[in-house]
Amino acid sequence: MNESQPPRCEWPLPERDTLTLGMLPLNDAAPLVVARERGFFAAHGLEVTLQVESSWAGLRDGMQLGLLDGAQMLPLMPLASTLGLDGRPTPVLSALTLNLGGNAITVSNALYASMQAADPEAMLQAPISARALAAVVRQRRAAGEPALRFASVYPFSSHHYQLRYWLAEGGVDPDRDLELRVVPPPLVAEQLEAGWLDGYCVGEPWNTLAARRESGRVLIGSHAIWQHGQEKVFAVREAWAEAYPMTHRAVLRALLEACAWLDAPAQRIEAARLMCEKGYLDVPPTVVEESMTAEGTPAPHGMSVFHRHAANFPWRSHLRWYAEQMRRWQHLEVAAPALEDCLVRCVRPDLFREAADDLGINYPLVDVKSEGEHMAEWSLEGSRGAIAMGSDRLLDGELFSGQDRG
Amino acid sequence: MTVKVLIVDARPERSRALEQALHEAGFDVVTRANEHDDLYAIMTRVKPDAVIIDAALPSRDTLEHMGQLGRRFPKPMIMLAEEETPDLTREATSAGVSAYVVEDVQPALVRSMVNVAISSFEAHRALKGELTKTQTTLSQRRTIERAKSQLMETHAFSEDAAYQWLRKHAMNRRLTIHEVAQAVLASDDFES
Repeated sequence: MNESQPPRCEWPLPERDTLTLGMLPLNDAAPLVVARERGFFAAHGLEVTLQVESSWAGLRDGMQLGLLDGAQMLPLMPLASTLGLDGRPTPVLSALTLNLGGNAITVSNALYASMQAADPEAMLQAPISARALAAVVRQRRAAGEPALRFASVYPFSSHHYQLRYWLAEGGVDPDRDLELRVVPPPLVAEQLEAGWLDGYCVGEPWNTLAARRESGRVLIGSHAIWQHGQEKVFAVREAWAEAYPMTHRAVLRALLEACAWLDAPAQRIEAARLMCEKGYLDVPPTVVEESMTAEGTPAPHGMSVFHRHAANFPWRSHLRWYAEQMRRWQHLEVAAPALEDCLVRCVRPDLFREAADDLGINYPLVDVKSEGEHMAEWSLEGSRGAIAMGSDRLLDGELFSGQDRG
Repeated sequence: MTVKVLIVDARPERSRALEQALHEAGFDVVTRANEHDDLYAIMTRVKPDAVIIDAALPSRDTLEHMGQLGRRFPKPMIMLAEEETPDLTREATSAGVSAYVVEDVQPALVRSMVNVAISSFEAHRALKGELTKTQTTLSQRRTIERAKSQLMETHAFSEDAAYQWLRKHAMNRRLTIHEVAQAVLASDDFES
């Protein structure tokens, strides 16, 4: 925090001081765990209980039934909930992104060997292209063998659409050439070993855990599919945000501080400890440490960006990119104007800016940015000077303007 | 119509009791499965009208996917159009029950089935004292705290040293912190 930070007593008091927030046992729940265990919530007058859910479906139920005040969510969940695609039609919004990146695609050892035999050249590429997989698919079809099975973690997940993006870039049609499934991350490694799955896209610590078990080979991380792509968001019901605006703002401040704290790799060892020691993540601690501290260029497969590059800003164009992926695969049949209304409702940079202003944090002045345009770090005008932004390169070299198609 | 039900539960004793109760209420339990079975294969083979699943199982998300695949697959009960659905879903959630049903099952049958499952899960919990998901997180946390306290006492460790000790043993044995903590509490002379 810089010196221009206003004294805390100037902040409006939250309407409520006791909250229950939902999360899944995943590395990118770290901002919620850190905000609770390191006292950021308490400093903003909030007593928070973190409810660890077992499934995204359970978390969605908790949100739609009003059992949770807010939750870690996949970026498409607020949109799917608002449109009534996922559960009961319930307007849900997000005013903060928890992290960028962190997923990876892993295949079984057997499929890895087949891919190498089918197209050794494609397997030498960095990142590894799905071209070799396309060759294996052709061979299997010619031999009359059943379709390979790939899994992601939820129908409305970033993993699902990142996996499809990678497949399509290499010439694999996910609907025609493969059988796509949903398998919870704690089960993917054993299903890969059992031969029920040939590959999957999941987040940390589950890729690192499977790699340690040597049950498969990690092919590509999500940063290589969409550099600094949005991964998890913090979401609340729209009606809740309207009823408790100052509580929401206090939660956003605490999460922003926790994300800034998580930016330093050294603190992430401490975060890994909090996740394991306080009962949130029942996974060997070294696996959590290794995956939490992944850093570098090019981004190692498990790398999560929690704060730098305006990571927490809720870009309307991030959700539009995911919505565009849904449209591409005929998963979203909403007219453009209705979708536009929904994006404005579900993504709330205005609320983010209020919380960031409270803390004196620099934020972007626009709500939309292009994706696939910046191949290296770049600079964006912010409320308090320039913001160093990360690359937003897309695997296939596409340029996504981020604007409404009209 | 007789409603064909699939039970997905990691606790055989509880799922046997639920099968019996559902049978007595006029439902046809086609099979019981656990988390480590191939749900895609089972669902395609037995084509259930409804699924009762332990809400603490991550495999709920697999059922969500199947629910998106077409009309013949059961949908999460929160999506039912009935007015009382949220209340029933809330009760089921607090009992640790999740249900999935195909659209053409009569609402009265859905209510009856879910109520049988709630009673059955609650009876089992009362009998066995088993923990809900939230209680599990808290109980793991308490186990780790107790193990740390014990280590601090017996080895004159600082709190940090106690954590590092647990971490080291977790690393050597490829266990989680909670598993090492349980081993520490189970035996006074736990050493590597």
